[in-house]
Formats: sequence, structure tokens, C-alpha cells
Amino acid sequence: MNRKQLALIKKDIKAITSNKQIFSVMFIMPLALTIVLPSILVIVTMMVPEASSDYRELLDLLPVASQGGDERKLVLELMLNKIIPGFFLMIPIMASSVMAASSFVGEKEKHTLETLLYSPLTLDEIFRAKILASFSVGMIVSFASFFAMLTVLEAEIFLLAGYFASFDIAWLVVMLLLSPALCLIAIAITVRGSAKAQTIEEAQQLAVFLVFPIIALVIGQFAGVIMINAGLLSLLGVGLAVFAAVFMKGVARKFTYERVLR
Amino acid sequence: MKAVMTEELSKTYPGGNRAVESLNLSIEKGEVFGFLGPNGAGKTTTIKLLCGILTPTSGKCGVFGIDPALNPEKLHAITGIITENARMYDHLSGMDNLLFYGALFGLGESECKKKALSLLERLNLTDSRQDKLSSYSTGMRQRLSLARAMIHDPEILFLDEPTSGLDPESSQNVNSMITELAAKGTTVFLCTHQLRYAREICTSYGLMNRGALLAAGSFEELSGMVSPGIKVRIETDLAPEDIISVSNTTLNTKLRGDKPEDFKPECFQSNGLKPLGFKPLVSDSQSSVGLSYEITLNSKEEIPLIVRGIVEAGGEIYHVSAQSVSLEEIYFSLMEKNQLKAEAKENE
Repeated sequence: MNRKQLALIKKDIKAITSNKQIFSVMFIMPLALTIVLPSILVIVTMMVPEASSDYRELLDLLPVASQGGDERKLVLELMLNKIIPGFFLMIPIMASSVMAASSFVGEKEKHTLETLLYSPLTLDEIFRAKILASFSVGMIVSFASFFAMLTVLEAEIFLLAGYFASFDIAWLVVMLLLSPALCLIAIAITVRGSAKAQTIEEAQQLAVFLVFPIIALVIGQFAGVIMINAGLLSLLGVGLAVFAAVFMKGVARKFTYERVLR
Repeated sequence: MKAVMTEELSKTYPGGNRAVESLNLSIEKGEVFGFLGPNGAGKTTTIKLLCGILTPTSGKCGVFGIDPALNPEKLHAITGIITENARMYDHLSGMDNLLFYGALFGLGESECKKKALSLLERLNLTDSRQDKLSSYSTGMRQRLSLARAMIHDPEILFLDEPTSGLDPESSQNVNSMITELAAKGTTVFLCTHQLRYAREICTSYGLMNRGALLAAGSFEELSGMVSPGIKVRIETDLAPEDIISVSNTTLNTKLRGDKPEDFKPECFQSNGLKPLGFKPLVSDSQSSVGLSYEITLNSKEEIPLIVRGIVEAGGEIYHVSAQSVSLEEIYFSLMEKNQLKAEAKENE
């Protein structure tokens, strides 16, 4: 990474933060997925009277390692560690594809990409800088959302129940493996489609289908059809990371002057 | 080393549009080369080929010995480029735009700031340097583009219609800036369809039409291709016969050897050199003091000779002016010739 690339990364990030429309999308969606929705789930779980709930039946259906102890706490932790990570995975996809669309198609749309191509940076350096800018934004939004969620949910649980809930190791896999891998895949899809896309909105929609398997995962977990543990998540994460690397290489090969300006 | 060289350079876009065909150019360092032609002539495609943004379909090109297709980034380090589609960032101020592009070209922050301020001042943009680009007028944007293209002191500037959208004063400012740069040794490759503008600042020309180069060279070389002499208008009280006599004696004996031939009004003679012409002007032939004549001469050196001849013959001279052929006339004449050639080829 050289100084010229750093200048490009800084400029790309500034372009996002100075665009109120894009910045609000980046802010509102994580807020809804990591604060509002989980808070509703937590509050509902905590407020439902234990006598009228079916927590026991639910826990009996699921292969939870320890089913003893406070049922409400078990259900709460099930929610925190099995359901919410699914919602969470949509954040890096959304943030990085919005950023990649702005960085690649946005520059094309505003006729600033050609000026950039006349700089003494190689095409590969421009590509890497833009990927890194999109990836950084995707990961910054993910981590900021995670810590905001952690703070808010723990505060809510403490206030309502008087204890702190425990986040299990699956979150580590989500944050360090799955999120970066999905982030890269979303960027690669957006960049690959950027040659044909003429508007930022068109490019943003390219990575949307990535959300469908995640929604299926959330519903599956919610309904108890599938249960993914940390081991399985790790395997999935490694697989996605390898796929992301290969996919990104393929996209980089097709990144030529004529193709990007078409 | 040539600043720009192309050999049989051709570009056909996917879909079959032949934008540039067998282009041969050779431009020396420090020249202000006017690449002229109407919209769609292939000028911008040529710039993109020379800058490595497009790959030639066939042929080759080089800029200061660098192959743009192989080492575009090396070439970009020594070039400044303005094209219609090379814009800057609306969300940044004029100054921030220049600082960003300066950083891309590896300039240090303080050096870049100093250079940017001097360029902004030169282009009358100092007062609006902190305004966002979105508030700039077309002319201001164009001037800032010029500052951006020069921020790294390029060895060659590729300018595609640099004065489009500029008011006369700004155009004048840009022209003088280009002339100054050329005087310092910067080569300028200037694309425009404004022939009069090109005539003001260019030292050599290339005339394009439909992807093909019609002709290239200095203005004198180009005018020699279409018109074999310069037209001189003379207003005198000498009678037409006396003018003919003076012209015969003066020019033929002093410039063309010893076998004079009579001029005839409205006709040309050929003596192995270029033909000469003579005609009394019909439209405004009767001036208050004398008659107006238009004589076609080989060179400016012949003007004092004919003036002296008239005076020696007892005539008074009220007006003498040389009317050289304009770049527009050269362009249209070459286009016509080219079209006739193409039609003849088709008929064969």
C-alpha cells in the first residue's frame, strides 16, 4: 500500500461520509438490524410471563447443550447466539456493496473514473485501493454495529433481568471469518457487475441475492429446522473466505481500462 | 526522441465503428500540435489510444518512447490530460481536488499546496478555491481541469477542447498559458474543432475526418497543399495594362528568369514554378482614388518587388494587403479533395 493508494482510499471514504443519502442508508440499516430488532426480541422474551410461555417445549426441541437452569435466560441466549448473528451478517453485505457501488459505478456515473485512470497508479493499484476502501467501510460498520449492539443489549438485559447474557464463540467466527468473507464476496459481485451497471442503485442491487441464503438461515434457525454450531460456522466461513479470494482474483483479471469505461 | 509517434494506428470499437484508421503522426518535443476535425473525427479516440486507455486494433504508438498500451502508468506520470469525460469530484473543493490529484501524482502536501495555489491564481480561481466543485460554473470547472492537468508539471499535455465553455477572456488566459508552457518545452497535443482558436496557438496541425488523417504539417505546408500562393490586394491608380506590364517585368525578370510571359486578366500562367494570377476586383473595383487588383504571388518576398515596380512606373499606391488562406479554407479544401479521391476510388 503506497501513499497514492492511501489518498485514494481516504477520498473514497470521504465521498461516502459526505453523501447524506448514502451515509443514512449505512447508518439506518445497521441500526434496525442490530439495535431495534434485537431489542424487540430481547424485550419480548423478557416481558413474556414465564407461566404462559412455551419455553420448555421450545428448549426440548433444540439440541442446546445445557438445558438446565433459567429457561428465560436459555431462550435469550439462544436468540442472541443463533438468531441475531443471521441478521448481523446482512450488515457487511449491505455496507460493502453500497460502498463498492459508490466507489466503482459512482465514479463512472459522475465521469470521475476516467480522470483517475489517467493517474500514474496502475490499474491493479486502483482496483486494490478501491476494494480496500469498500472492505474497510464494510468492516468498520460491522464492528461498530457489533459493539453498539453488545452495549445496548447487555444494558437492556441487565436492566430487565439483572444479569449479563453471554455471547458464545459463534460470534467470533461471525466477526472474524464470515463477515469479512461475505464483505469481499459482496464487493466482488458489485465490481464484476459495475462494468454493465450505469447507476449506483443498479450496482447496489447486484449483491442483494446474497441476502437470501442468510434470510433462509435465520428462518431455519428460528423455526428449528437447522441449527448451526460454531464448528459448522467456522467451516462455512473458511469455505466462503476461499471462495471470496478466488472470486476476487477472477474479477481483478477482468478489470481493464476499456471494460471499466464502457 | 519524438514526443508523439504513431504508425498505422487504427481503432475499431466492438460493434464495428472504425474510429481511427491508419493514423501516422510524428510530433516533435515542444510543439503545440493542433489535432483538428469535426465531432466524430476520431480525435478523442486518438487521445485515449495515446494515453493507453484504449488498446489499438492495429498499428502502434509511442509518447516519449513509452508504449501507452504496455506502460500506461509510466506515461501518465509525465502527461496531463483533459477530456470531456475526465471530470473531478463535486463533493470536494477546488483546492481539495487539486491536492487529491497532486497526491496521486506523488507530490508532497506542502509542494502540492504551493503548486495548486499558483495555478489557481494563474487561472483566476483563487477566490473560489474553498468552494465545492458542485458550485462551479462550466468555465470554472474547465479551468480547474487545466490546473489539475498541470499540477505535476507534465512533459506533454493532451487537451481535448480545453476552451469549450470558456468566455473570451478565460480562453485568452488559457491560450497564453499554453503558449507559455510550450515556450518552456512542454509539448501540447490540442484537439479542437475550433479552427480559428487552433490557428492562434498551434505550431503544427493534423487535420482529421472520419478517422483518417487528411494532412499534417505546419500552416505553410498545409496551405501549400491547397493554394499555391498568397493573394495580395493592391489599390492603385495604375491602369490594368500597366499593372500587367509591371508584374511581368518585375516578377518574371527578377524572380523567374529571363523569359517573361504576359499576364492576362482572370488567367494563370505556369512556368515550371507555381502559377501566378491577376484579376481586377469586380465587387469593389472602383475605389475613390484607384482600382483594386488581386494578384496571386508565390511568396511574401514578391510583394515589395511589385510595389516598387508600380511606384517606379509612376503609380500611386493606396492599399496593399496580403490575404493568406485560412485554416478553415485549407480544411474544407482538403476534405473536398479527399472526398473526390474516395469517389474516384469507388467508381473504379
